[in-house]
Amino acid sequence: MAESPPLSRRDFLSTSAKLGAFIAAAPYIARGAAVGAAPGVDTVNVALIGCGEEGRILSNAAINIPGVRFVAVCDIWPYNLTRSSRLLQKFNHPAKPYEDYQEMLATEKEIDAVLVATPDFMHAAHTNAALKAGKHVYCEKLMSNTVEGARSMVLTARETKKLLQIGHQRRSNPRYQHARDKILREGRLLGRVTNISGQWHRAVTDDFGFPTGQGIPDAKLAKYGYANMHEFRNWRWFKKYAGGVVSDLGAHQIDIYNWMLGARPRMCMASGGVDYYKTHEWYDNAIAVYEFETKEGIVRATYEVLTTTSAGGGYHEYFMGDEGALKMSENPKFTKLYREARAPEWEPYVAKGYVTKPESGEGAPAPVKPWQKPGVKKLGGPSKAGGTVDVRETAQLSAWDMPVTLDKAIHQPHLENFFDGIRKGAALNCSADDAFASAVTVLKVNEAIAAKKMLTFSPSDFVV
Amino acid sequence: MSDNSASNSSSTSRCDYTAAFILLRLFLGLRTLLAGVEKFESSGSYSFENYYKNMGRMAQGITGASFMPLWMTRNFAHSLGYLLIAFGVALLLGIKTRVTLTLTGLLYVGLSFGLMAVQEGDGVAWLGMHILMFAVALVLSRHNRFALWADKE
Repeated sequence: MAESPPLSRRDFLSTSAKLGAFIAAAPYIARGAAVGAAPGVDTVNVALIGCGEEGRILSNAAINIPGVRFVAVCDIWPYNLTRSSRLLQKFNHPAKPYEDYQEMLATEKEIDAVLVATPDFMHAAHTNAALKAGKHVYCEKLMSNTVEGARSMVLTARETKKLLQIGHQRRSNPRYQHARDKILREGRLLGRVTNISGQWHRAVTDDFGFPTGQGIPDAKLAKYGYANMHEFRNWRWFKKYAGGVVSDLGAHQIDIYNWMLGARPRMCMASGGVDYYKTHEWYDNAIAVYEFETKEGIVRATYEVLTTTSAGGGYHEYFMGDEGALKMSENPKFTKLYREARAPEWEPYVAKGYVTKPESGEGAPAPVKPWQKPGVKKLGGPSKAGGTVDVRETAQLSAWDMPVTLDKAIHQPHLENFFDGIRKGAALNCSADDAFASAVTVLKVNEAIAAKKMLTFSPSDFVV
Repeated sequence: MSDNSASNSSSTSRCDYTAAFILLRLFLGLRTLLAGVEKFESSGSYSFENYYKNMGRMAQGITGASFMPLWMTRNFAHSLGYLLIAFGVALLLGIKTRVTLTLTGLLYVGLSFGLMAVQEGDGVAWLGMHILMFAVALVLSRHNRFALWADKE
């Protein structure tokens, strides 16, 4: 048997270094190979306008979708632009950086779709330009900071016959779809929905700054419509650029009121103000009341957004009916179903896969210690925590869970729906018309706060 | 006159003690018997297989959460159900009641020791109530009646 030639120290080091480099690069090679080359899937060439926080969230979710290929990115701030283009290029997307979106649309002819994640006041300009250039558009919510801007987007989408999906991503979340289609509609587990409450409570946050030496010159800021770097970085808090917290945080949740009920509100009143922050224009808290007219009767809804406290249970939308209630949130830990004691049993819906009995957390049976015998029946009666203290209290609701989970980034299903619309003609989960109605609903809150009175909607307000 | 009155009062008092002890003996007998029988139950059915499954789980749970070796907890657990049934029947029938009360009390002390070792405070307090009742029963045991095999005076 022939002996192998002895391995020199130089050869050993060289081979080890090559092998190490290959192992380190393997994940990137694997990802790179998938970009735009997924078997059986048409490649969609995508451009991103707006490389800030939301733009990164969208691109991070979109690169997980087979066949999506970022060919260009655009932002007026070189700091964000460079970071996004480099990150995408690292994942083998040929993301060419642009400062001017019009130049990008004119130059990059192969773009099929544009993701718009810019400040709200630019949504209409960016979306309309992309649609007119023959691109399909996915635009972040809120559709626009003005009703006129939102209306122009609907009209442009109609004229160009291009797809326009607005980023109310809860509509594509399988947990929300299960809640609406199975629990509210098919199973009617809540009975007649009479009330909704929703909230987003967030602790005090500092204003955004920017790294030293990375500021945009004043002349360039002025060219793009910004007063200064503070307003550029904190545009959500200024009236020129955005709709405030009701638009930023409330838009997602108030949109879900419309979507779950399949109805539009008929009136709105609200209170709010700049009571805490000294460097903001928009309200730091707002509380709104809506009345919805549904086929089954009136539904009264409240919505509360607070940016000075995280107390009170985070963020959720709570749909309450005469037989049950659904506390729904993008965060599963804030989600729960409750059955009224007077309602029919929900066990049949466990078999149907609509609800599950909690295995842990609220409503779950007390954990059995390892040395205890499981399945021992306990006597009934009020629990230590849930005892009634007043004869007017009703029996405690039983807590249940929803069997559906989302194992992807929360924006990914909504982007998948948009790309399925382009490739396969799938119906969009949040078309421009649907989103327009939500924009009208949301922006009315700011109007009602300023007017300090109850405002009414007419059905024609929601139609373009 | 006063002698008769004292005698009647003493007789009434003895009857009360006897009744009190009978009640305690019946309660502790039933409690002990059923505590043994439920060790054979799982999902509504009773069998020796269930017994060894339940007791194995108990022994492993205590060992897993304490310093006690498995051989010790397993031996105790495997004999526990049979002893509880035997002592329960003995208490109900009145077989050597004083001795039986003492042995059953010791069994409950053993159980309490296991729960003390796993720092199960609620369980220890629960068993402590039982042990207190056994102690009271022993104090009253000289008033025992209706016994199949009475203790020696």
